[in-house]
Amino acid sequence: MTDTPGPSQLFDQWRKQFEEGAQTWSRLITQTAAASPSPTPDPSAFWRPVLDQGVQTWAQLFAQTPASPELVTQWKQFLDQWIEAWSKVLGQAMGTEQFAKLMGQSLDQMLVTAAPAKKVVDQQIEQTLQALNLPSRSQLIGIAKQLVELEDRIDRLEDSITKLRRLAEREPK
Amino acid sequence: MAQERFADVVERFTGGFAADVPAETIKQWQEELERGFRRLRNLHGLVTNPVEPKTGQTPRVEIYKRNKSRLYRYESARTHRTPVLFVPNLGISRPYIFDLLPGGSFIEHMTRQGFDFYLLDWGVFGPEDNDLSVDECVTKILPRMARRVLETSETDELSVLGYCMGAPISASFVASHPEVQVKNFVNMAGPIDFAKVGLFGLWLDKENFNVDRFVDTLGSVPADMVRAGFKLLKPTMDLSTNLNLWWNMWNDKYLEGFQALNKWANEYVAFPGEFFRQWVRDFYQDNKLYRGELVMGGRPICLERITCPVFVVGAKEDYIAPPECVRALIDKVGSREKEYIELPGGHISLIAGRGAAVHCWPKVSAWLGPRS
Repeated sequence: MTDTPGPSQLFDQWRKQFEEGAQTWSRLITQTAAASPSPTPDPSAFWRPVLDQGVQTWAQLFAQTPASPELVTQWKQFLDQWIEAWSKVLGQAMGTEQFAKLMGQSLDQMLVTAAPAKKVVDQQIEQTLQALNLPSRSQLIGIAKQLVELEDRIDRLEDSITKLRRLAEREPK
Repeated sequence: MAQERFADVVERFTGGFAADVPAETIKQWQEELERGFRRLRNLHGLVTNPVEPKTGQTPRVEIYKRNKSRLYRYESARTHRTPVLFVPNLGISRPYIFDLLPGGSFIEHMTRQGFDFYLLDWGVFGPEDNDLSVDECVTKILPRMARRVLETSETDELSVLGYCMGAPISASFVASHPEVQVKNFVNMAGPIDFAKVGLFGLWLDKENFNVDRFVDTLGSVPADMVRAGFKLLKPTMDLSTNLNLWWNMWNDKYLEGFQALNKWANEYVAFPGEFFRQWVRDFYQDNKLYRGELVMGGRPICLERITCPVFVVGAKEDYIAPPECVRALIDKVGSREKEYIELPGGHISLIAGRGAAVHCWPKVSAWLGPRS
C-alpha cells in the first residue's frame, strides 16, 4: 500500500486534468470563432472521454455502498417535495383573509397613486401629438370603435336580410 | 511524460477493491452520463438556436369573423351529424393550447373521432374593445356563432363544449336561447358555483377587491396583470417547471412539447375592461349565475332551463376552477341525463398534454359520440 497516492495527490491529478481540459476547450472555441462559418462546437466533445473514465471508476467505487444513479432520482424527488412543501406553505399564506386584504389594499393604493399620474401623462401626450399634427391614441381608438360599430350594424342587417329571405321562402307563391 | 489515466489513479487510490462492481451499476451510470451530455447539447441548442414551435397545425377554415372573434371549422372525416361548437376562455391565453402539436391536440383528437368541430377564438382585444361585456358575448356573439355553425354544417342542432370561463358563458347562452337547439352540453373545468372557486374567489371578493376602481383607472386588465395574477396563484410553478425542464432536457420529444407549451404559457391576453367588471361582479362577487339572478340582454339566465344531456368534467388538482365549483352545474340543470366525472390533473393538464390524451379526450369523445 506504500505506492497508493493520498487524497491530496489525487486532488492534484484531478485539478491538472481540469486545467488542461479548460485550456483545450478555450482553444477549441477560439479556433471555431476564427474559422467562421463552421459548425457549432459540441461542449461535451472534449469532456466525454475524461468523464467517461471518471464516472466508470467512481461507479465502481459507489458499488461498494448503496450509491447508484438512483441517488440522482432521489435528489430530484427531494427537490420536488421541497418545492411542493413551499407551494403548500405559500398557498396557505395566500389563502388567508389577511393576505387578500393586504393585496387589495396594495392594489388600491397603487391605483389611487397611478390614476392622477396616468391622467396627467395622457393629457400631455395628447397635447404633444396635437401640436405635432399627429393622431393621438384616443383618436385611433375612436376610429377603431366606429369600425366595430359599423361591423355590428352590417351583422344586424345581414341577420335581418336572412330573416326576411326565410319568411319569403315560407310564403306560398 | 505520458498523462496518467484518471481511472488508473482512482483504481490505485482505492486499491483495486472495486473491480467486482456489478456491470448493471456501471451501465446505469453510463446512461445517466449520456443523459447529462444530451441535456448539455439540448440546452446549448435551446440558448443559441431556439426554434419557434409550430402550433395549431390541424387544417381549418375561417368561416365567420366578428371584430376580433373568429369561428374556425376544422377538417374532419365527419361521421357524426351533430357539429360541436367549442367555446374556450375569453382573455387570459390563446386557444392554440387545444391544438398544440400533432399527436398532442384535443382538436385533432376530436376531428379524428369524426366530429364536425368548430372553435370560437375570442381573439386578442385592444383598448377599442373595452366596452365589450359578458352580456354582449352571451346575447350577441355566441348566438351568431351558433347560427353560423348550424348553417355551415347544414343541421338543426349542435353540441356546445365550454372550457374554463367558456363554460359559464356558454351555459348562460344555452340557458337563455331556447331558439338555438343545443343537443348536448359539455362543461370542462368551467366554474359554476363561484362561492367555491378557491383563491381567486377570495382575492376578488367585494371586501378585498374594488373592481370599479380597477377598471375605471386602467380601462382594461393588461396582459402583464393577468400574468401576475396567475403567477401569484402558484408562485412555485416557474421553479418546478424549470426543474422538470432540466430533468427531462435530454428527451427531445419532451423538449418539443415543452417549447410549444412554454410559448403558450407566456402569451397572456388582456381582458376588456367592461367584460372584466361584469365577470368579477356578477360571477365572482355576487355568484349570480348559480343563484339564478343573472339577466343578460333582457333574458333571465336560469340554469334549470338547460334540459339537454349534460356532461361535466372536473380536474382533481385544479386550483383555478376547483372540482366542487365545476360539479355544481349537475345540481342546477334541468336535464334528466347528466353525468359528472373527476379526472386526474390540473386546469390545463386536463385538456392538454399526455395525461389529457389518456384520461380526458377519449372520455369526452366517447360521451359525445353516441349522442351526436
